[in-house]
Amino acid sequence: MKLNLYRTNSLSRQVVSLMSGCIIIFIAGTGILFYQLQSLHAEYLQKRQSIVEKQLLVEEILDQYHTVFLTMPASDVFDKDGLKDEAIQEEASLRKKIEEFRAIASSKEDRIISDKLETFSDDYFGGIQISAQISDFRGLIKSYLNNLADKRDENVKNLTKEQSILQGVFVGFVLFFLFICLFIVRSIIRNIGKPLADFSVAANEIAAGREAVISVNENRMDELGVLSVAFKKMLASVQDKEQELMAHNEELLAQQDELQAQQNELQVTLGIIRDNEQKLTRRNELINGISSTLDKNEVLNSIVVNMSNIISADRGMIALVHEDSSSSFGISENGVKQFRNNIDSGLNYRLLKEKKPFTIKREQLDAEKGYHENTNYSYDLYLPVLSTFQEVDAIMVFSRYGTPFTDQEVEECETLAKQISTSLDKIKLYEQTEGNRRLNQDILNTIKEGIQLIDQDGKVVQVNQPFCDIFKTGSTPEQIIDLPWEKWSAEMTGQMEGDGFSRSLDEAFQHLEATNHEQRSFTFKKKETNQVIKVYFEALRYREEGFGTILVYRDITKEYEVDQMKSEFVSTVSHELRTPLASVLGFAELMLNKPLKPERQIKYLQTIYNEAKRLTALINDFLDVQKMESGKQMYEKKYVDILPILQKVIEHLEINTEHHDIQLQVETTDLIILGDRIKIEQAFTNLLSNSIKYSPDGGKIVVRVCSRNDKLSVDIEDEGLGIPKESLPHLFQKFYRVDNSDRRRIGGTGLGLAIVDEIIKSHGGEVTVVSHYGHGSTFTISLPRVAQKEMGPNHDRQSMKLSYEIMVIEDDINLAELLKYELMDSGFHVNYFNSGRKAFQELKNSPPDAIVLDILLEEGEMDGWGILRELKISADLKEIPVFISTALDEREKGLSLGANDYLVKPYKPRQLSKVIMHTLLSTRKKGQILIPHSCNEGDQV
Amino acid sequence: MMKRILLVEDEEVLRMLVVDTLEDEDYVVDEAADGIEAVKLLKNRTYDLIILDYMMPGYTGLEIIEKIQSSEIKNQGKILMLSAKSQQFEQERILEAGADYFMAKPFSPLKLIEQIEVILHEAESLQN
Repeated sequence: MKLNLYRTNSLSRQVVSLMSGCIIIFIAGTGILFYQLQSLHAEYLQKRQSIVEKQLLVEEILDQYHTVFLTMPASDVFDKDGLKDEAIQEEASLRKKIEEFRAIASSKEDRIISDKLETFSDDYFGGIQISAQISDFRGLIKSYLNNLADKRDENVKNLTKEQSILQGVFVGFVLFFLFICLFIVRSIIRNIGKPLADFSVAANEIAAGREAVISVNENRMDELGVLSVAFKKMLASVQDKEQELMAHNEELLAQQDELQAQQNELQVTLGIIRDNEQKLTRRNELINGISSTLDKNEVLNSIVVNMSNIISADRGMIALVHEDSSSSFGISENGVKQFRNNIDSGLNYRLLKEKKPFTIKREQLDAEKGYHENTNYSYDLYLPVLSTFQEVDAIMVFSRYGTPFTDQEVEECETLAKQISTSLDKIKLYEQTEGNRRLNQDILNTIKEGIQLIDQDGKVVQVNQPFCDIFKTGSTPEQIIDLPWEKWSAEMTGQMEGDGFSRSLDEAFQHLEATNHEQRSFTFKKKETNQVIKVYFEALRYREEGFGTILVYRDITKEYEVDQMKSEFVSTVSHELRTPLASVLGFAELMLNKPLKPERQIKYLQTIYNEAKRLTALINDFLDVQKMESGKQMYEKKYVDILPILQKVIEHLEINTEHHDIQLQVETTDLIILGDRIKIEQAFTNLLSNSIKYSPDGGKIVVRVCSRNDKLSVDIEDEGLGIPKESLPHLFQKFYRVDNSDRRRIGGTGLGLAIVDEIIKSHGGEVTVVSHYGHGSTFTISLPRVAQKEMGPNHDRQSMKLSYEIMVIEDDINLAELLKYELMDSGFHVNYFNSGRKAFQELKNSPPDAIVLDILLEEGEMDGWGILRELKISADLKEIPVFISTALDEREKGLSLGANDYLVKPYKPRQLSKVIMHTLLSTRKKGQILIPHSCNEGDQV
Repeated sequence: MMKRILLVEDEEVLRMLVVDTLEDEDYVVDEAADGIEAVKLLKNRTYDLIILDYMMPGYTGLEIIEKIQSSEIKNQGKILMLSAKSQQFEQERILEAGADYFMAKPFSPLKLIEQIEVILHEAESLQN
């Protein structure tokens, strides 16, 4: 019972016991069969042994008998004892053997044979002559032996037969065993597989959510039983759980419904919030739009667009009341114009008066209606933008189709209008400040000095354009403002010669508090441009609190250069004067203190005289140069013929030289120049005396006057020493003397050519030189040529110096007289008219060289502007320079109409003639009186 | 023995003045009109005194002094510089450069003689 329980408790144990049972049965069956086989074999062997033994024994017996048969008769015959003994012995052994045989005789036959054998032997040895029996005996034995052999064969046959029976039994056993095995397996499958399959089906059913029945016997004790119980329990619990879940689910569904309701509520609230948010966003946009820029138009635009958005207006506009600025949305240009024109009338007037917003309901215009046929209404909202002083700054109007404006909207708009007002105020303020800033910058830029304002940390706060030009070529104030101290001072130092700038700056800043003005400035030189710049400092204070420093950069290059030149000049002059002075003083001293021979006295006196003369010449030259350099040299330019000047110079110099042949060659007839006779004479004198001086061995000197490149050229060609090539570029420098031994005996100040150069340049000409060292030099002076257009027969050279024709148009006779005298005094011919029309008539007949014009002429007359316009459109007259002399201060208009100059009465005496002269001289090529013989392409404008 | 003096001066008139003055006092005077000529002469012989103008074509007086101080022209006597540059700092510069004496233009020929006598006397006594 216990074993059974143990077995039935476990499937594996069941299987194991079944398997071991099978194996035991199998081994036992096999063992039994094997044993049967073995015993069969042993039996066979035993039988075979006994048969073989019998056979052998019988055969021996037979053999012995044969021997006996042979010997027995002989003994009888011969009767010899020996033989007889022998036969007895034989008989004994035979008997013994037969006994043996009897012992082993097992079957009936054997016993018959043994009996026979016994009988035979008894007979035989008993002496009974049984010769006949012998052969019977032999036959009997022989058949017995054959029998035995047969028996043996039969035995073998039996063995084989039994063996095959046994094999058959074995096969049967195996088959039986296999059948048993099959049965066991089947039962196992039925016992385990089926319930498992049932389980799987049930599990599937459960998984699929259907009812499941478990057909496994619950009373089973094995695992499946346990499983079945557990499964059932599980099923029960699953069902419980499911029910629980169902209940839960229902609960949840209820909750969900509740939530849905809440959500719907929230959605509604959200919609409201969103609306508010949108409103706020639009408001924000409005505020951002108006505060993100300071550009008025941009702000106005953004106001209109955003306001229209906020109140969903279809069109709208804003217009400033005091300024011509407006912006609109959905309104045509004409509409805007119309509104602007009526800014202070109609409904706008009401708004300006009431200063309160109002709305208007009106029927839609056809244009507004679109394709709608029935009557629709449009609503206009008029909104004022009030300034801080409660003045209407701007008017806003918005139109909406169909929907009237609610009070709430209007109120909101009023609030927004306040915001807008603030921003408009801000813009106004900004424009003012910006205007002031620009004005300040313009003022700063107009100042010639560079101005730089830095704060307490040295950062650049403000600069003007001249400072930028000093700071770095091409830079602008924007690039420099906000640069820190280190950067700009380093940049400045880089631009200046040496590295003194930074140091001077630092030093100067240490002396910022000093009262001594000198300490608050320093000077430096700019590398690139060689500008000399002086920097002044001044600390800036605001309520006793320093907030920065202003630096003023003054370009003192000119002053500096003049200073340099002056000191250089003084030093050179003193040196140049000392040499002749040394001779004069030295020789005079010798003459005074030493007894000298008369020849030496004369020689010394001559030297003193020459040196004194040289001193005089030097002093004159110095004075000339000084005058020229300081710009004080005045040239009295007149139309002069160059020929008499040259003749005079040659004549003058010829006296002093005997071995020079001076020839004057004139190759042109246009000999008039505009120049200062004395200075021109000086220039030629200098050149010609140089030629004489530097051709100490005499020779020909040619003075050639010709027309070359539209200029009047005078060549002075000598056959003297010539000038080394390397000296040519320095030739016209002051105090430059060609440095070679040939010239050492030739005295000079080194100023002659510099003076010539200066004079000729002042006359608009130039001096050039060509020289072959050792073969002579040619100096050429070229001067601009002038010629008269109409050289009438009575115009001789003297009257060439004649003057310009000036037409004066002026209705005030006294003033006209005054002008006339002034102009005539300056050498002009004056024609005066008090009427514009008359003057214009005359103008066409004989055009003057210049016109002096009053603007305000007698009533009913063509006024000055009219005359000026007429002149400038006429092809023949537009070149005539016009000078306006009037009490009317409209200089720009005058100049833009083409006047050459505009003088506002009262002006300084001689200013008019100066201006006219200046213009005529500078534009003489275009003038009526003075025209070039042939103009260069470039000059013809 | 007669003292030999070299006069280097580009102005002919001044040269005449100095030469006349010195020859009256029995000095032997060699003339040079510029620095190049002077150096040529200095290479040939030794002078007891060299009178140098400051501003000259060729070499300036200072350049000639430099040459005398360098190995090129050795064993020369004293140097007297004549110069129109009479300012204090210029004098100092000339003396620093190696001239022994300085006389400003315009100069007195009589004073020049006096000065030369003093110089040569000093040199002589130094030698002895």
